[in-house]
Amino acid sequence: MASILISSSEEFSGKSSICMGLGRIFQESGLKVGYMKPVGNLLIDVHGSLTDEDSEGIRKLLGIADPGKYITPIHLTDSLIDDALRGVEKDLDERLVEAYSVISRDKDVVFIEGTGGIGGGSMYGLSDPEIASKLGTRILLVTRFDSISAVDRILCDMRIIGNNDMFIGLILNEVPANMEDRVSELVVPFFEKKGIKVFGMIHEDDTLRSVFISEIVEDLHAEVLVASDKLDQLVEHYLVGAMEVGSAIKYFRRQPNSAVITGGDRADIQMAAIESRVKCLILTGNMRPSGAVLASAEEAGIPVILVRGDTMNTIERMEHLIGHANIKQQVKLDKVIELINGNLDVPAIAESIGVKLQS
Amino acid sequence: MLEKMFDPDSVAVIGASRTKGKVGRAVLENLMQNGKLRIVPINPNVDEILGLRCYPNIMDVPDGLKVDLAVIVVPAQMVPNTIDECGRAGIGNVIVISAGFKEAGIEGARFERECISLCEKYGIAMIGPNCLGIIDTSSGLNASFAANMAYEGNIAMMSQSGAICTVTLDWAERIGVGFSKFISLGNKAVLAENDFLQLFEKDPSTAVIAAYLEGVKDGPEFIRIAQRVSRSKPMIVVKSGRTSVGSRAVSSHTGTLAGSDAAYNAAFKQAGIIRADSLEEMLDYSRAFSVCPLPEGRNIAIITNAGGLGILTADACYNAGLSIASFEEATVERLREKLPPAANFYDPVDVLGDAGADLYEHALDVVLEDINVNGVIVLVSPQAMTDIPGIAEKLAKKIQHSKKPILCNFAGGSRIAAGEELLNSYGIPNYSSAERAVGSMNALCNYYSIKHHSHEEPERQDSDLVFARSFIESALSEKRRTHGLESMDILKAYDIPVVDSRIAKTLPEAIQAAENMGYPVVMKILSPDISHKTDVGGIRLNLEHADDVERAYISMMSDVRHYMPDAVITGVQLQKMISGGKEVIIGMDRDPQFGPLLMFGLGGTYVEFLKDVSFAVAPVTGAEAKHMVSSIKTYPLIAGVRGEVASDIDSIIRTLLKVSQLVTDFPEILEFEINPLMVLPEGQGCVAMDIRFTLKS
Repeated sequence: MASILISSSEEFSGKSSICMGLGRIFQESGLKVGYMKPVGNLLIDVHGSLTDEDSEGIRKLLGIADPGKYITPIHLTDSLIDDALRGVEKDLDERLVEAYSVISRDKDVVFIEGTGGIGGGSMYGLSDPEIASKLGTRILLVTRFDSISAVDRILCDMRIIGNNDMFIGLILNEVPANMEDRVSELVVPFFEKKGIKVFGMIHEDDTLRSVFISEIVEDLHAEVLVASDKLDQLVEHYLVGAMEVGSAIKYFRRQPNSAVITGGDRADIQMAAIESRVKCLILTGNMRPSGAVLASAEEAGIPVILVRGDTMNTIERMEHLIGHANIKQQVKLDKVIELINGNLDVPAIAESIGVKLQS
Repeated sequence: MLEKMFDPDSVAVIGASRTKGKVGRAVLENLMQNGKLRIVPINPNVDEILGLRCYPNIMDVPDGLKVDLAVIVVPAQMVPNTIDECGRAGIGNVIVISAGFKEAGIEGARFERECISLCEKYGIAMIGPNCLGIIDTSSGLNASFAANMAYEGNIAMMSQSGAICTVTLDWAERIGVGFSKFISLGNKAVLAENDFLQLFEKDPSTAVIAAYLEGVKDGPEFIRIAQRVSRSKPMIVVKSGRTSVGSRAVSSHTGTLAGSDAAYNAAFKQAGIIRADSLEEMLDYSRAFSVCPLPEGRNIAIITNAGGLGILTADACYNAGLSIASFEEATVERLREKLPPAANFYDPVDVLGDAGADLYEHALDVVLEDINVNGVIVLVSPQAMTDIPGIAEKLAKKIQHSKKPILCNFAGGSRIAAGEELLNSYGIPNYSSAERAVGSMNALCNYYSIKHHSHEEPERQDSDLVFARSFIESALSEKRRTHGLESMDILKAYDIPVVDSRIAKTLPEAIQAAENMGYPVVMKILSPDISHKTDVGGIRLNLEHADDVERAYISMMSDVRHYMPDAVITGVQLQKMISGGKEVIIGMDRDPQFGPLLMFGLGGTYVEFLKDVSFAVAPVTGAEAKHMVSSIKTYPLIAGVRGEVASDIDSIIRTLLKVSQLVTDFPEILEFEINPLMVLPEGQGCVAMDIRFTLKS
């Protein structure tokens, strides 16, 4: 049985996506795959018991039958932290090891997802390197390459890991288009020279950053006024319609995969958005648009959703949603798999943990 | 087409009613004013209405009655089924007066779509829904629920607002203005302005076309039809929703975009349409066209009995671009013969306060005969001894038979009312102010130019279409939609001169490129994400040696990364530094209503603030391109001021024509801009220094 711990220096760097994508690729290669996120930090209630949102999503998408309590045996709650600070013993290691032994039973490979940043959990002895050492697994580092300072961060993470044998290599994730050349021409050779294996780099992807209109509706507690059958479409950006209508048309048609946020009384902006065939109209301030505008939106098949909050508030919610959306849907998993297969040396990752993939 | 809509032998009213105050009753009563019309009320609940045999359903009407037109006033949800029945009964024309369609919301929009597809299925011509109906005075048809029938006249009017129809009819009734046809357009679901323009064009009883529009359904077709129609009949249009608040109201009201006012202005101008700013102006102009011949020039004579009014009118003429006529010697002499010595014998002619009808008549006769006079404005103020009705009577008779336009301004209130009424009884307008009279005279003069302007078709400009097509297709295959400097080659396909330039990805490449080109050079950042290079330090001018290039490169990269950290930078472009030219901009923005809207303006920092730009809808003719260049306020700066050398204006016009061709050839281009186009002194051409365009996704 092989295992691998996916770690990163910060949150939202793509650990879940990598676990999910690699998990599916390994499954397709005929391997029995297990998955764990030992410490759950995004707690949700599933059928009366608490579990982690990421791990629940991955469990479902990978079709894993193991119970949630073994997939995420430890929950990061206030009391866990308080006890750790007070020095109260919680037998966390035993829970971890027991869960791992259940999960790894009859599996060919287990993917273990780190919690938050690499050093997170140090106060209760469950930082990613500590977990790896307790379970005897090796670490794959995923880093969001948002600037050149990511190089410093990676070198720092390696010092935290300390033991070079425990580290198998790294994946550079979400590399912006303007840095791709620099990363491939300078950064990757730099790491390779230091003996650090780079399994590949994945560029920023709009599909993965995007959210479904239905997720927006849910998050904003919005009322759908028209085209409720079109909520399964992805929105890549949000645009704020607060300008003069002539500029709005130019602005909207450059990014048609957008949701436009505007006031319910801005019929001109609403029509500009509809004519530009944007994906969705979000009307703020609980102001209903005119019947004629709604009729045009319906004819164009563009959902119009009404929210109570003001524009600023709605922008803040959208800011949080786009780019931080979870991979809960098949369409995104497909995209993840496509990106992993296209950009990462998957056989090399498998080989580094002693697994051979069937071609 | 539509003959039986406006001149039917038999009309059915579906939803006819006995109840006073109901639309179904009002329509019936209006139709019954025409004794020759066979009227068939349809109502399942009664056998007869107002003495007419009533049928329960349109399908029950005997074939012998052969209904030409059905006026539908049943509730919206019943209309699709009613149209289906009309189709099955073989009726070719319907007017849907009922409201509750797209203007009311989603359900209404669904009814409207059903009506449209049924009309398509049966080949039915439909006016409305949500309209007042139509009136045709020559056939005597009043298929509307308007409170009054229009007088007979030669003005055809269509309006996108039913309320504006009633306002106009009411006003017209009071002052005796007549119409040939009166059409309330409603939601324009099937028949719209373009259909009626063609109808008015061929209608012998129509001499003038007036319209109130909130938008047009098919912009390019509207221009094409209007260009043809305006050569035979004047078209005066009020287009509302000009301002941001107005356009918001249009969108809210109709569920359409009001459209860019610049685009409407350009389209109207190219189509030969006279744009009125208000309903009052539209009616003022229409009345002038209704009674006056066209002036063959812009020289206007003013006859007044009050010096002050004459001066005000002269000022208004000047402001409108009309000239005050310079009389022939004989004219002055003949005026002197009868006018008192204190009178003014030059334009404006002051016949003095005590002038009677004979003096006015004499002055008018004399100035009309002057070959330097193209039109006359007559001003009458109510002095104690002024014979208002007498003067009005004389003027009315003159105006009716004059070969030159004469417009009147009886200025005042109750004392001139008799004169105004008398003029009205002859169908002649009285303008309540000098400015209104001058505005209408100006409209007449403008239309004379429109009518006699030789119309040319845009000429195809030479281009390497194969190269351009492959260039655009390769750009379309890229993920990004906006393209800049790196795509300058598209201009070469249209033979637009492009500045000598090299692309460099690194500093050594940049220095090498500059050395090869020869100094001085300009360095520009290459990035599809940056539209305003100057704002982010992305342009360095006049670099004279390798050291300059090095400093410019390093500081430019630092500046650009500071201002736009996320921008993709693909390198720099080095251009040959060109001096001694003037910078202009040629742009295009694809307008949702009219398509490619070309823009021309002077370049430089203040352009966006001054908004001194001209527009035209592509493809443009040579004359239109020339007009675009000469109509900006800062044109003298290009033409050369104070002994300055003139710029090569012909090369700007050529470039405009080529850009017009490019954006016409490729509807995929949504926005396009050459900025700046460097124009060299006359005879030396022009050079594109930078471009930017956005493609459809």
